[in-house]
Amino acid sequence: MAAAVPGATRVRATAVLLLLGCCGPALAGGLQDQAEQFFRSGHTNNWAVLVCTSRFWFNYRHVANTLSVYRSVKRLGIPDSHIVLMLADDMACNPRNPKPATVFSHKNMELNVYGDDVEVDYRSYEVTVENFLRVLTGRIPPSTPRSKRLLSDDRSNILIYMTGHGGNGFLKFQDSEEITNVELADAFEQMWQKRRYNELLFIIDTCQGASMYERFYSPNIMALASSQVGEDSLSHQPDLGIGVHLMDRYTFYVLEFLEEIHPASQTNMNDLFQVCPKSLCVSTPGHRTDLFQRDPQNVLITDFFGSVRKVEITTETISLDRHVAAFESKFPEEELATEPLKYAEQLPVAQIIHQKPKQKDWHPPGGFILGLWALIIMVFFKTYGIKHMKHVF
Amino acid sequence: MAAPLVLVVLAAVTVRAALYRSSLAVFIAERVEVASPLNAWKRVVEGLALLDLGVSPYSGAIFHETPLIIYLFHFLIEYAELVFMITDVLTAVALYLAIQDFNKVVFKKQKLLIELDKYAPDVAELIQTPMEMHYIPLKVALFYLLNPYTVMSCVAKSTCAINNSVIAFFILATIKGSALLSAVFLALATYQSLYPLTLFAPALLYLLQRQFIPIKLKSKSFWLYTVQYASLYLCSLVVIICLSFFLLNSWDFIPSVYGFILSVPDLTPNIGLFWYFFAEMFEHFSLFFVCVFQINVFFYTIPLAIKLKEHPVFFMFVQLAIISIFKSYPTVGDVALYMAFLPVWSHLYRFLRNIFILSCVLIFCSFLFPVLWHLWIYAGSANSNFYYAITLTFNVGQILLISDYFYAFLRREYYLTHGLHLTRQDGTEAMLVLK
Repeated sequence: MAAAVPGATRVRATAVLLLLGCCGPALAGGLQDQAEQFFRSGHTNNWAVLVCTSRFWFNYRHVANTLSVYRSVKRLGIPDSHIVLMLADDMACNPRNPKPATVFSHKNMELNVYGDDVEVDYRSYEVTVENFLRVLTGRIPPSTPRSKRLLSDDRSNILIYMTGHGGNGFLKFQDSEEITNVELADAFEQMWQKRRYNELLFIIDTCQGASMYERFYSPNIMALASSQVGEDSLSHQPDLGIGVHLMDRYTFYVLEFLEEIHPASQTNMNDLFQVCPKSLCVSTPGHRTDLFQRDPQNVLITDFFGSVRKVEITTETISLDRHVAAFESKFPEEELATEPLKYAEQLPVAQIIHQKPKQKDWHPPGGFILGLWALIIMVFFKTYGIKHMKHVF
Repeated sequence: MAAPLVLVVLAAVTVRAALYRSSLAVFIAERVEVASPLNAWKRVVEGLALLDLGVSPYSGAIFHETPLIIYLFHFLIEYAELVFMITDVLTAVALYLAIQDFNKVVFKKQKLLIELDKYAPDVAELIQTPMEMHYIPLKVALFYLLNPYTVMSCVAKSTCAINNSVIAFFILATIKGSALLSAVFLALATYQSLYPLTLFAPALLYLLQRQFIPIKLKSKSFWLYTVQYASLYLCSLVVIICLSFFLLNSWDFIPSVYGFILSVPDLTPNIGLFWYFFAEMFEHFSLFFVCVFQINVFFYTIPLAIKLKEHPVFFMFVQLAIISIFKSYPTVGDVALYMAFLPVWSHLYRFLRNIFILSCVLIFCSFLFPVLWHLWIYAGSANSNFYYAITLTFNVGQILLISDYFYAFLRREYYLTHGLHLTRQDGTEAMLVLK
């Protein structure tokens, strides 16, 4: 793998140099596509937020799901400093684990996803809805260590994987609270407005998972879920030695798919959408790409799961000013609808604090006042006698 | 007697004004013992703000005041502090005048019974003299105005003060003997918070007594008067409710006010007994228990009416106490109202058995309320059981206080007619026991 990387980039580098050097017309289509892609996927760093929300021994499979994705993501290059791993319970050291310090994802204990270098950032009771939302939006107390922060910027591609027990419109955390799809969508909108991501891939493996991505409204989000609304996501296989189900079906097949991926793979998202058809998964996995601006065909798996740096190795010095100008004139701005990036003026504070106090618009109806005072005067005169009338008038 | 009353009023107004200006005002206004969901000032302001925005204040679960309060505060909201101070003063003055009249009635009745030889010969020390009764109205006004509970209730601007003032005017009207005014104020009091309905019985008994109509079930004049009074009361109630409809052109206020009082949906802790039970009750039992708890308030009227038909004002006092202990959202303002009457029965002092313990219990509980609240809510080292324990103790203390006074009253009545030194048939000394 290490040898392949410079080779691939060498090819790319030459292509780019050719393009830049001879400001010629369109070259062979493949190179141009590659070049376009080179300049289109605009991310420079990758982050992953992997959340397992269930505790208790019989939810072993959720921890195994999360750790499998963690393993893949680490293998493909995202370092621990860029992964926020939240596990709601400790299965490896659970007293009921017959094989302590391991979390298996295959029956017959073929694959231990708990290795030697797992770094869990939020563990046990720290996995709460509040902490999860704070990680996403960045509104974290200043004393939080770096390993617990999502320090993404507007060139980050973020993978968010969530697993646990869920229902129509919510995901259960720790058996005591829920996060709703509306809260999640609003958190993503906060992230968009604070420029905390370039593109976001949201994968959820719970029952009725598709309901969790229904409410997203921020741009550049692609979502996958293991089941539609009204369907349950099923678990894969129990291990008779450990005594619990080890993985959920959807993540099991996603893991199998990801094991084939290496950092140089050109596999794209359309292949990921095909993972786990109904025949294998029993539930119907769903995906949502309407908010995503690129075509999924052009989105590499490694854009989200790996941390592929666009490295250009060259021994020549290139003066960028001339070539950039030339490049820009050859490749005019595409009409991809990128909105002008600005902070939304949501709360016009200056207007609010200086506005005049509102006039009171409501007044009691005249009939009411008349009736009330007529009654009071009637009672008064009935008690004290009519003779006072002539003193009043 | 006017001068000392004016002095007391001035002192009370000064205390309240001083507290309004201090930082304690905010602290007191937030206390759950003083402000309940029914009469908190925050909610009145919120309701009026909603009205200004064009939304009915009853549309959420925030505002549970009657439309007449909306009308009152629509114009007076900037002078709220003055309104509450004036209300307290009016209540105290009404109580003062009422007790003054009542003392005259008591004295007249006593004189009549002495002349009719209804009293035993050796009860001279039990008879009330005008000398000792002279300062009782002033003491009543003092007890009401300078009671820390009343002061806190006023500083918190809780509309309990308005409820108390309506009840005080009702008592004044009843004791003066005006059936119409009494019915009107009782209707207003019932309209404000549902429970003064039970004060119908003592008022009726008092007015019957005043008209010298004997209370016999077969007597025609008794029924005639009862029907008259009841129809006055019901008509005024219906008129007031219909008038309230015209304020906002909707009947929304009925479920918001009366439905709220009766079905107790808001379980914010207070000094009452409802919140804890209903917080931990299963849904399918809650209707049953709501009915049981509410019946508990109204239930004591009939037995007390039978026992205390000769003494309707004492009956009114006991009934007021029962209302403020067993109502669904009690506050210390309600407690202050019946405590104001304690000087009227100060002649019972020699028969009270537990007064020291009870006063200690009540004072300690009053101090422990904020302590345990802080421990529960802010420090997190206690839980609701601690606070409820103090609530329970406070209510048990109140109930014991009332039953002690009840027992002392009955005992004095018995001694009056049977003599102070009771002997059994064989001549040994006997003890009077409440069975």
